[in-house]
Amino acid sequence: MYSGPVIDCDVHHARNDDAELIQYLSRGWREYVTDRGPAGNVPLAVQDGFPNPHGFMRADTYPKGGGEPGGDYETMRDQLLDATDLRRAVLTFGDDSHVAGHHNPYFAAELARAMNDWSIDRWLSKDPRLLSSIMVGSQLPDVAAMEIRRHAANPRMVQVMLVDNPFNYGFGHPIFHPIYAAAEETGRPVAIHGGAGGWANPPSTGGGSVNTYFETHVLWPQAIQTHVVSFIAHGVFEKYPNLKVVLIEGGSAWIPSLLWRFDTEYKGLRREVPWLKRLPSEYFAQHIWVTTQPLEMAPNKDSVVELLRSMSLEDRLVYSSDYPHWDADEIEYLSTRLPSEWHRRMFFQNACRLYGWDEADLELPKAAAEKPR
Amino acid sequence: MRVDVGAVSDFEDRRVRIVQAGSHEVGVLKWRDRFFAVHNRCPHQKGPVCLGIVSGRLTSPAPGSMEVDDETPVLACPWHGWEFELERGRALWDDGYAVKVVPVSVESGRVVLEVGRSRD
Repeated sequence: MYSGPVIDCDVHHARNDDAELIQYLSRGWREYVTDRGPAGNVPLAVQDGFPNPHGFMRADTYPKGGGEPGGDYETMRDQLLDATDLRRAVLTFGDDSHVAGHHNPYFAAELARAMNDWSIDRWLSKDPRLLSSIMVGSQLPDVAAMEIRRHAANPRMVQVMLVDNPFNYGFGHPIFHPIYAAAEETGRPVAIHGGAGGWANPPSTGGGSVNTYFETHVLWPQAIQTHVVSFIAHGVFEKYPNLKVVLIEGGSAWIPSLLWRFDTEYKGLRREVPWLKRLPSEYFAQHIWVTTQPLEMAPNKDSVVELLRSMSLEDRLVYSSDYPHWDADEIEYLSTRLPSEWHRRMFFQNACRLYGWDEADLELPKAAAEKPR
Repeated sequence: MRVDVGAVSDFEDRRVRIVQAGSHEVGVLKWRDRFFAVHNRCPHQKGPVCLGIVSGRLTSPAPGSMEVDDETPVLACPWHGWEFELERGRALWDDGYAVKVVPVSVESGRVVLEVGRSRD
């Protein structure tokens, strides 16, 4: 089993109740959300999606003192942060991450702003190893860009997160570009989380909508594929040459198949996208990273290794646990599924390159790394 | 082997004319008073590349804009649409992948191919 330093790129932190988030809303929005008498609060999270028959959370992650999985720092610390030589954990929010699925764009923008402040106050202050995503309401891309720039000077707000899709176009569409301009300008990767496309708004599957969580979860890679193709075809990486993207929870074994087809189609259809200067696979290799979870489970594990190796993905994979969700991947498990010569890269080094961190800064002995900064 | 494939006036501008040159079919293009010639055989799946569309090379200085470079004729194979610039025969997406170019010259108003010699 791998026992070296670890960076976990997908840890879902959650609020335990509405009050936690409401206090970060502006006074006007607080009034809007509350004071509805017996009707209770305006729902803060998008009210849609597929129910998981097991529940979405690992049963063992419910805090002993009550509250939500991912909602209690001490529980997360004991179960995740201190369980391995974890140097950094990138927080990615819970149900609130579907903020771009809200119909009301102004409410979504305010919620996203409040979520980020909540994340800084309630989580980053507790542990130097914790880092946060910058959540944005992509319904209003210019406002989202302002929110990204608001955190420019905070190095612990490490990436811009997109989940739901408020428009019926892939994320490469120019309507989203103000977000990428701000991400590039502030040096933040854009993270696209599985289910992107989404939970509430346009279906996350191609061909038609599906009817069970089982189906939608099998097909999560479809939405990610749409966004990858869209990003590259629209020339986002020509327009923003320093932009990085990380794909979260969409799997990885499909990437070679998509890129082989993508390159072939480019050879015949370049006339439609002459702004592309390289093969699509070359843009992917330069700009895109991929989280490990959920690693595809082929009957012969070497089949997956061979596929990943065919696109040199051992240099692009970054570890993600997906804690505290039901389908989390453990380090010990991953260690047995992927070659040992990949371990240090995928558990640690690749994430340093993704986020622009100096490995030496994170290589401190564990005791020193835990000192408050 | 030198092959006279006709008078300059026999060639219509921007149209590929397929001629027999020895054992090879060759497409000859007149483009803005210059001549280009390539084998009528796509390196991809051996399709009749010279039956494809010829145009100036489409370029773009930035995503969303479309310009044409009229100095660079491009041939798109009718099978799969792979594009080759005709100066050196190279695919637009890979300098190392090319349709075979035949040297062509104009001598005393006649178009002459040098078959059996590849220009590069």
